[in-house]
Amino acid sequence: MSVLPRRILKETQRLMQEPVPGISAKPDEGNARYFHVKVTGPEDSPFEGGLFKLELFLPEDYPMSAPKVRFITKIYHPNIDRLGRICLDILKDKWSPALQIRTVLLSIQALLSAPNPDDPLANDVAELWKVNEIEAIRNAKEWTRMYASEN
Amino acid sequence: MEQFEQLLTCAICLDRYRNPKLLPCQHSFCMEPCMDGLVDYVRRQVKCPECRAEHRIPYNGVQGYPTNVTLQRFLELHIEITGELPDPTSGQIMKRCGVCSEKAYVTSCVHCEKDVCSDCKGAHMDILRREIARINNQVRRALHRLSDMLAGVEKNMLTLQQNCTSVTEEVDEIYRRLAKALKDRTDHLRGEIDRYLTTELKNLCNLKENLDIEISNIQSNCDLADKHMQSDDVEWEDSELMDAKEIFLKTVEFIRNFETEIGDYSRRAKFLMAHDPNQLVMHVASYGELTIHAPHQAFNASSNSLQAPSPGLMRSKSDHRLASQYRQDERNAYETGGEIGGRVSPLGGRKFGERYPSRYSRGDRNDYDADTTHDNENRSSARSRIRSRLGRHGLNENTDSDTDSRSVRFSETNNTVHRERERVLDTEDVAKGPLSGITRLYDSPRVMKRLLESENKDKKAEAAPKPQPQTAVQQPKKITPQPTPQRQLSEDDEIARIKRQNKTASTSSDTERRDRVGSIKREDSRDSNRSTSNTPADSTRKTSIPEPIPADTQESSESESEEDSVEVVEPRKPTPIKTTFPPSTSAATADSRRSSTASDNLGSKGNARLKSTRSESIDSTCSSETPGTPVRRNAGSTYPSEDVKQSPVSSSSGSTTPRARFSSVSSKRDSATPTNSRSYNVTGNSESTSKKEEIEDEEEEEEETETSSESSETDTDEDSEDAKPKTPVQKGMEKTDIGPLLARSAQARDNGSGSNSSSRRASQDESYTRSRYGTSGYKSPSYQSPREADTSASGSKYLNNTRTEPAPRFTSRFLKTKSIQEENPSKPCYNSDNKYTSDKGGLSRSRTSANLDEDLPDDTNTSAYSPYSKNHYGSDLSRSRSSHALKSRETSPDRPVTNASAGTGEKDGAALSSWARYLKNKYGNRGKENAAKENAAASSASSSSSRRLSLGLPLRSNSTHVDSSDDDQKNMQSSPTSHTIIEAGMQGVGSTPRVQYLQKRQLLFKIGGRGSEPGYFTWPRGVAVGPDNLIVVADSSNHRIQVFDNSGKILKDFGSYGNSEGEFDCLAGVAVNRIGQYIIADRYNHRIQVLDPSGRFLRSFGSQGSSDGRFNYPWGITTDALGFIYVCDKENHRIQVFQSDGTFVGKFGSNGNKIGQLEHPHYIAVSNTNRVIVSDCNNHRIQIFDVNGRVISSFGTEGSENGQFKFPKGVAVDDQGYILVADSGNNRIQIFHPDSTFLRAFGCWGSGDGEFKGLEGIAVMSNGNILVCDRENHRVQVF
Repeated sequence: MSVLPRRILKETQRLMQEPVPGISAKPDEGNARYFHVKVTGPEDSPFEGGLFKLELFLPEDYPMSAPKVRFITKIYHPNIDRLGRICLDILKDKWSPALQIRTVLLSIQALLSAPNPDDPLANDVAELWKVNEIEAIRNAKEWTRMYASEN
Repeated sequence: MEQFEQLLTCAICLDRYRNPKLLPCQHSFCMEPCMDGLVDYVRRQVKCPECRAEHRIPYNGVQGYPTNVTLQRFLELHIEITGELPDPTSGQIMKRCGVCSEKAYVTSCVHCEKDVCSDCKGAHMDILRREIARINNQVRRALHRLSDMLAGVEKNMLTLQQNCTSVTEEVDEIYRRLAKALKDRTDHLRGEIDRYLTTELKNLCNLKENLDIEISNIQSNCDLADKHMQSDDVEWEDSELMDAKEIFLKTVEFIRNFETEIGDYSRRAKFLMAHDPNQLVMHVASYGELTIHAPHQAFNASSNSLQAPSPGLMRSKSDHRLASQYRQDERNAYETGGEIGGRVSPLGGRKFGERYPSRYSRGDRNDYDADTTHDNENRSSARSRIRSRLGRHGLNENTDSDTDSRSVRFSETNNTVHRERERVLDTEDVAKGPLSGITRLYDSPRVMKRLLESENKDKKAEAAPKPQPQTAVQQPKKITPQPTPQRQLSEDDEIARIKRQNKTASTSSDTERRDRVGSIKREDSRDSNRSTSNTPADSTRKTSIPEPIPADTQESSESESEEDSVEVVEPRKPTPIKTTFPPSTSAATADSRRSSTASDNLGSKGNARLKSTRSESIDSTCSSETPGTPVRRNAGSTYPSEDVKQSPVSSSSGSTTPRARFSSVSSKRDSATPTNSRSYNVTGNSESTSKKEEIEDEEEEEEETETSSESSETDTDEDSEDAKPKTPVQKGMEKTDIGPLLARSAQARDNGSGSNSSSRRASQDESYTRSRYGTSGYKSPSYQSPREADTSASGSKYLNNTRTEPAPRFTSRFLKTKSIQEENPSKPCYNSDNKYTSDKGGLSRSRTSANLDEDLPDDTNTSAYSPYSKNHYGSDLSRSRSSHALKSRETSPDRPVTNASAGTGEKDGAALSSWARYLKNKYGNRGKENAAKENAAASSASSSSSRRLSLGLPLRSNSTHVDSSDDDQKNMQSSPTSHTIIEAGMQGVGSTPRVQYLQKRQLLFKIGGRGSEPGYFTWPRGVAVGPDNLIVVADSSNHRIQVFDNSGKILKDFGSYGNSEGEFDCLAGVAVNRIGQYIIADRYNHRIQVLDPSGRFLRSFGSQGSSDGRFNYPWGITTDALGFIYVCDKENHRIQVFQSDGTFVGKFGSNGNKIGQLEHPHYIAVSNTNRVIVSDCNNHRIQIFDVNGRVISSFGTEGSENGQFKFPKGVAVDDQGYILVADSGNNRIQIFHPDSTFLRAFGCWGSGDGEFKGLEGIAVMSNGNILVCDRENHRVQVF
């Protein structure tokens, strides 16, 4: 594989130097295109207090195509399925090369704050979220406590 | 400020804007690669990453968008403010990277000579670094060789001193003894003479006294008688008178009788020398002489003995060697360089780390310099050009001409150290290793600078920093020669050179100089011509005089040094001058031209010289040689082709014996004009003609071929032995027209089955006639017809029938083809045989004669192949080179004629057709061989019964050529039509399984031990089995071939160290072809040599390189039934195939570990079913190819289990297809079934019997005995 593009180097550098609050992304030792990401659950959301692990991979043609991001920690969220896949437009068709790892992660954090059950990925969760939001939020809190608490 | 920076940063690449393009939405992005990447080619629009607005792309692409000039101004402003370095890539244009084919700013990679992006370049440099590391390791590992040598040299010094003192002592001793003997003898003689004197003197005194007494007595008596007896004074009694009378009578008697030597004293003592005193003095005066044993100077033998010892003493042999090697290398460089003034010496012309002149456009060096703006302009253009063109011979410093002239003569180490083509160059200023011309990298200012830099920057310094041209480009200031404090001198030199070059830069110094040099040379040659009557040495000296001209001191000094070394050699052996002839004897082209002209112009002269012995030629051709040789040398020292052109005649006439031979040979090869060279004989003629004929015919008569082959088959089937039909004969001829190679292989195959059958009874007649037309149809129609009377003498009465018909036809054909031949004279012919026969003294002989052997009742194993045995059978027998006749004749009588091509066509269809294809490619024929074969094969089914019969017959023990039925079966099984054949084969040969392999363990005997005497080895590598089960061993580090009989008794050895004809440098593989020629992989000379059965040089081909027909450490070698030569081109990781004359045929394999790829193939073997078995050493496996290079199978993995290998080396295949592998890492021999399944293994590490240390080559004899080279034990073991 060819050497890392400058952009990735720069992004990585900046991520390390000026980390976004609540988000940490560290490149894998063996593969600089693979990042270990940790996102704290945003305040005032059912995921508050949780620390969610994600993996992020920059494909070969990054930044021309979107990074691949996936939750590793289980999360109860209408736009995130059981495998951790994220339904987020900027990760799909709305990707723009002007976006960066940091922006992507910020978007994901925002997604945690604002679940969008109308564009669901996990249908049962979305259903519950629509039908019984309280119940759903309780579930989400439960899951956060179960799976995403630091200890 | 940070925000300001932000504004100058492209959102996509997060880098400073480069050529920012403004989208209609007012967002800007770099044109490349950012904007490029945004393009949606389908919809032909671009979507702004910032605002997601979609814009149509202008007609001419994204560059059609306006440049954001404001932004650009800001960028410039920013640069001004911050003092930031300008973007190194600004102004460059993105191109596709030659490796990853991404668009990027490319620079040309020295390594692969492509335009590559920096990433790929980095990767490449990593590769280079790794390679350097690897090679460095190798160097380190091999360094002990040098230290060994050092130790050896020290030891040699010691031994030399010891030797000298001992010799001195010996001489003293002899002197003492001689003196003592002389003194003793002298004393003895003196004593003798004294004694003699005294005794004789005493005797004489006595005598004297006695005589005195007698005289006085008698006197008194007389007086008394006178006084008293006469007178009667005294009374005498009668008795008294009687007594007195008696006394007087006695006295008278005494006086009368007494005689003594009163004349000369006769008992003189005489001093007689046992030897002639003169001789004795001479003997004593030369009672001994010092002989210096110099094994490398074989040519000394032929030189006149007077000067033999002294030059031998004066010059170390290595000097010759080195010089010649150097020259060889130079020549190689020329061959590759192609251009006249190209890279001259292996290390010449380029400074360390300077970029390589592009191979394709050597003249365009300026381009590069324009790129790298670090040099001041004058310097860059002038110097680089000069240096590139003139290289080391250019007008470089007077000051270091000395070192330079002494330098780079030895290239062997260079090859090992810097195996890559791109040998790192050094400055001209620094001292080089006197032998190798290798500079200390530390001495190179570039390296110094690099290291300093890295220290300063606290970067990780590499062990051997490879200058990185790219960084050089990016940081130009670093490249400008900074004074490195340690090397003040070099800097001065640099400046001086720059100045000088500046001076010459404006003029087209290049050509001018060349002209000048050329004229000088011409003058030289004239000079030397004038000095024709002088001795060669004289002329040499003369020619060297005008050379030291300030402009080209370096050059001249070098040529001087060459001449120095040459001078001594020359009078004794003119050839080395030529052959080793250096820098500029440009390449093969010049060579061939010279040789051809030689043959043309020389004509009879060449012939005459050919016959003269070498020494003769030295003496007698001295005069004619003098003009030639110096000229050539002069030419050689600079710009050869020009000079050579100017005096082709003289140069060619200068060629001495071996040269002449070469030229004649080459003329034959080129078949330029077949008139002059002796080596041109009828065989050659007929061969080439016949081949042409075949080709012709093939084109004409393809259709006919098919049908006729069929018909002929049926004909012969019907016609029993007696009635020799005329049609089959004709058809046979046509059949053979299918194509020589196809037919050859076909018949080879046929031979296999034929020999299997070996039914002698009826075969004599029919097969004989078949051989007749086989041969004639094939090869030498012209030749055969006139000579048929001879052949008939060998006793086949049926011949008469056949002969009548074919003869006229042959002749007519011959006429036709002859004209053809004359039309295109450049037809390559198999001159292996030509040459061979010519060497044999014009005796037109070929393997066909071997056929006769086969007809003889006793079929000895090797008679067919032994060229010696051929001699028995009428040398004027028509012998075409075709071995096919042999095969065809061997076929049993009741086999259809067409089997020759037909049956076999099926059997190994793939192989055959591949050869046919090759043939087609080569001769541009469109052949329908396959079709023909199919037809024939179909018809062959009808004859299957007879075939079965023949196959069922016992196997002959003909080692080299009995076809293995096992492999046959395999091949046959693949063919749908030949079931019967399969069965037959099963029955026939399958009945002799190689149980003996299972029993092998016991050492039969072993040969050798460490040493350089005959019968001893130093690292034996290749081993081969020759005719009569001769054991042929490549005694690698003794640089010779040793031949043993089948019981291990040494028969002969030949070869010595060197790179001229018949000399070797760590030869590796050896093979013996059907006619007993030795084919040798002359490893460090990167060539293949072919020697005749008596060990005389026939030809060599190849040189170092990676193109077709060149080698990089050729290792294993083998030859197949058709004489094709297969070479393991080890460092090129491929197999190359050649015709027996060295013509490149094909290659296969590349570096890698996939199927069909090879990594360091070491040894190779070809089964008689044309399976090519290669030991893929570093992949720990054996691969089997067909002759076309397609993989048939591959087996083995790394390991020490049965069937696994660790660095398998030698491979051999027996006549049944069993494969033997010398599993060197496991120190064992493994035997595999023909289907590659494991049979057994034996052997282990050790030095006892049946134990190995480092296996190399392996071979199998016809009786199943396994020969294996046990390298570290320096022996050959036989199992």
